[in-house]
Amino acid sequence: MFLFIKKILALCICVSGLLAQIKLSVNTIPKRVEIFLDGNAIGKTPIKNGNISIGEHQFVIDEDGYAPLKYDLIVNSSESVHLDFFLNPIYKVKFKTEENSLIFELNNEHQWGEKLIRLELEAGEHFLRVFKLGEIIDEQVIMVDEPKSFEYFLKKPIIEK
Amino acid sequence: MIYKFIIMKKERLKFLFIIGLNTILLYTFYGCAMFRGPEYSEIIYNYRQPLISVTYEYGEIALKMPLEYPGAKPENLLFNIYSRGDTSRTMISILQDASKEFRAYLPQGVLDTDNETNLIKIYPQDPDFTPQYIPFKGIQFGELNLPTVEIVMIPLTIEGTISLNRNDSILEGVSVAIQNFDQTIIETESDTAGYFKLIIPGEYKREEYIQLVAGMNMIFKPFKQKLDFSNSYNININIGMGPSANLAEPLYLTNKSNVHFRDNPDIGSSTLFLLENGETFSVQRVTPGEYFGSIEVDIGKKGSIKLDGWVYRSDLDLLQLSNLFKKQSNDVSIY
Repeated sequence: MFLFIKKILALCICVSGLLAQIKLSVNTIPKRVEIFLDGNAIGKTPIKNGNISIGEHQFVIDEDGYAPLKYDLIVNSSESVHLDFFLNPIYKVKFKTEENSLIFELNNEHQWGEKLIRLELEAGEHFLRVFKLGEIIDEQVIMVDEPKSFEYFLKKPIIEK
Repeated sequence: MIYKFIIMKKERLKFLFIIGLNTILLYTFYGCAMFRGPEYSEIIYNYRQPLISVTYEYGEIALKMPLEYPGAKPENLLFNIYSRGDTSRTMISILQDASKEFRAYLPQGVLDTDNETNLIKIYPQDPDFTPQYIPFKGIQFGELNLPTVEIVMIPLTIEGTISLNRNDSILEGVSVAIQNFDQTIIETESDTAGYFKLIIPGEYKREEYIQLVAGMNMIFKPFKQKLDFSNSYNININIGMGPSANLAEPLYLTNKSNVHFRDNPDIGSSTLFLLENGETFSVQRVTPGEYFGSIEVDIGKKGSIKLDGWVYRSDLDLLQLSNLFKKQSNDVSIY
């Protein structure tokens, strides 16, 4: 029994040795982020001496304060492959208006009617649409690149603070 | 009055306490939301493509193949490398002098690593050398050492059949050899069909004294022919052994070398030829000490002619066609 297990173990080592032929290194911004390769945690960045086989793979990063990331990669035959991931941060944003009876919508999906609300937004551009009595009365693109406050006035460019 | 004032103050304090408690409870439950607004329940993504950089590092394949030259050496060698069985497209072509090793550097991943479908064709820059085809299994990258390859000249082939001149019957077991001067390079015997084939290294192409010798194990004079490979790597020779049907019986064979074949039986007559051991002599007339008769003289492509002359009787033995082969005890050094 012991010999059988030993043989299976040796076979597994051989097979894994054949498959893991390419050196892998991964960096992220920010650092010390857990990397999942094909569903298995392979450590926190920076990863320097990893291995990866030729073929299709999926990298997943799910870090608090950053947008989750899924990246499918077909690894070519090579000596080594190096990946750099720049994660998109999530910023806390305060949205305020003095106007009455307005409904706000972000990215065709998220709606609210409060005059003052706190939001968590992925860095980058977001599409704002404003409704009054069920009709679109305004459309704007807001840019989020840091924690900030937005103040909305009807049919005027949004004010950032 | 004072009592009434105290009761009123107590009521007021009680009221203020209840108000304050409510404020604290509200603040506890709703927190800053009262002042900072409520928080949206979900994180709002814009699904912006994150910045991702992928960098590959490619290695190279260092191909090494030792070369050996057992005989002559060509001046240059041309190496063509093909991958994955595709011989229509040469991956790399290298012309180099005939050194001890061939080296080539290939990019990573160009070779088939599963099967021996990659190929190196070696073309020595000399028509007398054999091109070589070396299939091999590749690697992804790193050093690939291939087995040693011998660069040899095109071998020389001599083949044909051996028959008896007298009746064209096939002769089996006749020894056939190729000699360089008197040194035997290779030797064989004719098979049941009288067929023989000899292959010698191509280096002998440039030797001047290569000859084919057949019938050393027969009672007749051995067949000898100089071989000329200047126009071909293959020579076909059909050998006829012994006397032709033109020589009338009775037939005798010379029993030693340097037998005098003279124009006249008288003392002082001139010697036309010195006959080798095993030469066939057709006797026509007999005297007490000598035979008069004829021999066949080979004149090359035109065949042979008959010449008449005299030979001492003691230099001849009657030909026994029942056994054409020598006994094993015979001394072969006479050749």
